[in-house]
Amino acid sequence: MTTLISVTKGEYMSKPTDLVQGTLDLLILKILALEPLHGWAVGQRLKQVSGDVLQVSDGSLYPALHKLEQEGWITAEWKPSENNRRAKFYSLTRLGRKELEKEAANWNRLSTAISRVVKLKEA
Amino acid sequence: MRIKHWFYTVPLRLRSLFRHSQVEQELNEELRYHIERQTEELIAKGMTEEEARYAALRALGGIEQRKEECRDMRRVNYIDDLLRDLRYAGRNLRRNPGFAALSILIMALGIGANTAVFSVVNAVLLKPLSYHDPDRIVTLSNASMTREAPTALSKQVSIPDFEDWQAQSSSFEAMAYYASRETAVILGSTPEYARVSSVSPDFFRVFAVEPLVGRSFTPEETMRGSSGAAMISYTYWQAHFGGDPRALGQTVRISRPRSIVGVLPPGFRFPNNTDIWVSAVGPAGSRGGQNFLSVGRLKTRVPLEQAQAEMTAIARRLEQQFPETNRGRSVAITRLMDEMVGNVRLTLYLLLGSVTVVLLIACANTATLLLAKASTRVREVALRAALGASRKRIARQLVTENLLLALVAGLAGLVLAYWGSKTLVALAPADVPRLAEASIDRWVLGFTIGMSVITSLLFGSVPAFYASKVELSDALKQGGTRIASGGRMAGIRGLLVVVQIALAVTLVCASGLLIKSFVALHNVALGFQPQNVLVMRATVPAPPSVGVARTRQFFSDMLAQLAKTPGVVAAGATMAPPGYVDSTGAYLLDQLPAKPEDWSRAPSVVLSVAAPGTFAALGIPLKSGRDFSESDTLDSPFVAVVNEALVRKSFPNQNPLGRTIFCPFDSFQGMRIIGVVGDVRQRGPEREPMPECYMPHGQHAFNGATLSLVVRTTGDPNALTQTLRRLAHENTPDVPMKFTTMEAMLYENVAAPRFRTVLFAVFAGLAVCLAMAGIYGVMAFTVGRRSNEIGLRIALGASTGSVVRLILGQGLALAGIGLVLGLAASIASTRLLRTMLFQVQPNDPTVYLAVALLVGLVTLAAGYLPASRAAKIDPVVALRQE
Repeated sequence: MTTLISVTKGEYMSKPTDLVQGTLDLLILKILALEPLHGWAVGQRLKQVSGDVLQVSDGSLYPALHKLEQEGWITAEWKPSENNRRAKFYSLTRLGRKELEKEAANWNRLSTAISRVVKLKEA
Repeated sequence: MRIKHWFYTVPLRLRSLFRHSQVEQELNEELRYHIERQTEELIAKGMTEEEARYAALRALGGIEQRKEECRDMRRVNYIDDLLRDLRYAGRNLRRNPGFAALSILIMALGIGANTAVFSVVNAVLLKPLSYHDPDRIVTLSNASMTREAPTALSKQVSIPDFEDWQAQSSSFEAMAYYASRETAVILGSTPEYARVSSVSPDFFRVFAVEPLVGRSFTPEETMRGSSGAAMISYTYWQAHFGGDPRALGQTVRISRPRSIVGVLPPGFRFPNNTDIWVSAVGPAGSRGGQNFLSVGRLKTRVPLEQAQAEMTAIARRLEQQFPETNRGRSVAITRLMDEMVGNVRLTLYLLLGSVTVVLLIACANTATLLLAKASTRVREVALRAALGASRKRIARQLVTENLLLALVAGLAGLVLAYWGSKTLVALAPADVPRLAEASIDRWVLGFTIGMSVITSLLFGSVPAFYASKVELSDALKQGGTRIASGGRMAGIRGLLVVVQIALAVTLVCASGLLIKSFVALHNVALGFQPQNVLVMRATVPAPPSVGVARTRQFFSDMLAQLAKTPGVVAAGATMAPPGYVDSTGAYLLDQLPAKPEDWSRAPSVVLSVAAPGTFAALGIPLKSGRDFSESDTLDSPFVAVVNEALVRKSFPNQNPLGRTIFCPFDSFQGMRIIGVVGDVRQRGPEREPMPECYMPHGQHAFNGATLSLVVRTTGDPNALTQTLRRLAHENTPDVPMKFTTMEAMLYENVAAPRFRTVLFAVFAGLAVCLAMAGIYGVMAFTVGRRSNEIGLRIALGASTGSVVRLILGQGLALAGIGLVLGLAASIASTRLLRTMLFQVQPNDPTVYLAVALLVGLVTLAAGYLPASRAAKIDPVVALRQE
């Protein structure tokens, strides 16, 4: 949780903001909590809501989705997509909702702490 | 939380494993969809189709890499690897079918034999008794401290003693006594034998068992003098009433009519596979009348030792209170389970031990085979290591191969065990408790799998160790034909052969001792002639008041008619045919003692009631005096015939004829000794004759209104069965009969020693065969490896004889070391057999000598082929191979 590594992979990709490991999980969980989406749409939504600040590379999205699925936090279903093709839609499970609450609380604690440190007045 | 987690994740993992292709396909499809959408998106933004597609792919950063990352998330890689290893191992085994078949056969024999024996051990010794809280059920037996313990009968207790125990003790939740007998039961109009147990009121409470149908005995039905009721076993219910509840209220006649009031649940048949339980409503009898066995249920949290201490104190009080009967008597508390398996525990554990030795030999054998194969695989292993496989990965691969081998062998062993278990049950003595329950259940299955895994480690460790020592550069340089460490490997193989021989020797020694003892058992003077004697057991069903007279009449009539039947040499009837003791007691001579307590010091005696002609029919020699006659009746003076053991004990250098003997059986009346007969081994061939007193059937009652007719015939005794059946039916139609021969009874008598002797011999034979294969293997290997050297020797003029000596010498040297180690182990371990040996000492030198000779012969036989091959080596060919 505290190890800082980049979740974007591949050298030829731009790396706007390195994400704290686990943060991508939190983002995906939150997005899927709003509505079930397929992989591509999750990526699009991320870009939309963060105003392109958080750019998650397509390469790291799918392993993350598969990891969350294996953890039992999200579950997948094959459904026709908005353009009428079969796509793998992910949705949050009950376990995933709990995990989201936990991660969100963690995030809040962490960001509050960090902003408090950042706002310290320099003497 | 964890469980809920698994609820989601386990199906996914299973899906990844077993629907592998579907999962892969979905992954493909998911990524393809992504690329298509992304491409469309980029085209919409103004890229050409080709540009868009390329950009979408680039953004993903390599489809195959992403797929691999997604696969890693499934967390089943190690299983994937395992499956790959297994496939590889399977291919490897198929490539060497001879090696695979041989090693699987060897291990299957070892594992199968182990599983079979374990299935019996599991059923008889390990499974808890199928009663509620079985650990709290104990037996309370009479433990006489003065008399020698002659038979199981001496454990019996008397009702007055039992009642005092019950009244004065506080360790037991319930306590009961019972007696069990195979006796005549008439259901409707057909007479037959059934196992009937009379039990005291709390009997079913001891086992905490409730009737399945109907009810238990009411207090009125358990009162002394009540007409009594009957409860039947589930088996009897099914066999005689087809499970019809209308069985309740029906009448069975067991010496008198009794009404069936209940059916016990399936599986409850205590004691001795009882068919019918009746309440013991006879008179309490005297303190000396020890005719019952006793069981109790300990209160919760009362340890056995506490109950024992309490009962010892009670017994001591009774001893002081009733010295004439209870002097030297105490009570022994034993767990029911221990009491039931007491006799067979040692035998079964020794069998398990011996079969484990066989398995160890099989492991050593397979290890040798694997080692031979390992030498040809050095190159493969080295190559894989050179290509970057870690040692760990290679070791895992080898372990997987061995595991596969062991599991296939285990499976084959299971098939062998299924058949072997049935054979064991058929071979085992009939009195082994719960033997019928032996089966391949999940415990046995687990045992087999465990055995397979353990053996794979055992036989696989040596070659794996060897392979891990392979030096890459050496192995690749050598081209795989010859190995730098060949000398060390020969050493390991030699060591394995020595181990095999040593283990086999211990088994053969044990088996030799048992065989010698079994032969001695067969050659022992039994004191009677068992050949051509038909035995017909018959019970006259009648209330005790008239039963004795009717039974006496029945047998007298039968004997009179048999005297006129052609083919009959002699005929008699006895309460206890040789090999079985029906009653024991004490005897005093000349006069009844002044003080009743003198009885407690009287010597023990086997008591038998016999009809005239019995000694002639059984071939028991009359040493002096006369046999009983039909004129020895209740109206004439009481007479008795004693055996020589009694004369030796009580009449040294005196004439016993005309003296008076008192043996309280059914009366205290003195009997004049009218004859002396030779000793019979009453308790089976294994045990010395005891003093015995025969009483005429005209003057005494007999237990259970039952006698056994013994008929000596000129030809096959079984041919007379129909005649006897007809005669008996003409006399009394309601008499059930059971036929056997004296030889068949004797066969049963030695069933236990035969069982262990046969099994030990089989396992020892198996061990010798395996060890022989081991010797052969190591010698053939030597000849192969040293063919250059041998060729050179021959070229330099070595004679054929010296070459043969060279090869055989090596085999004999290994065998010699193995033999010495094995004999030392035998001397240390055959002590365990002491109680099973008859007229043979555990370190019998002739047996050990015979084993040494056998090992020598086996080694020479095993070495013959390799040695003759060595002698035929053509030096030109051998040297050119270089």
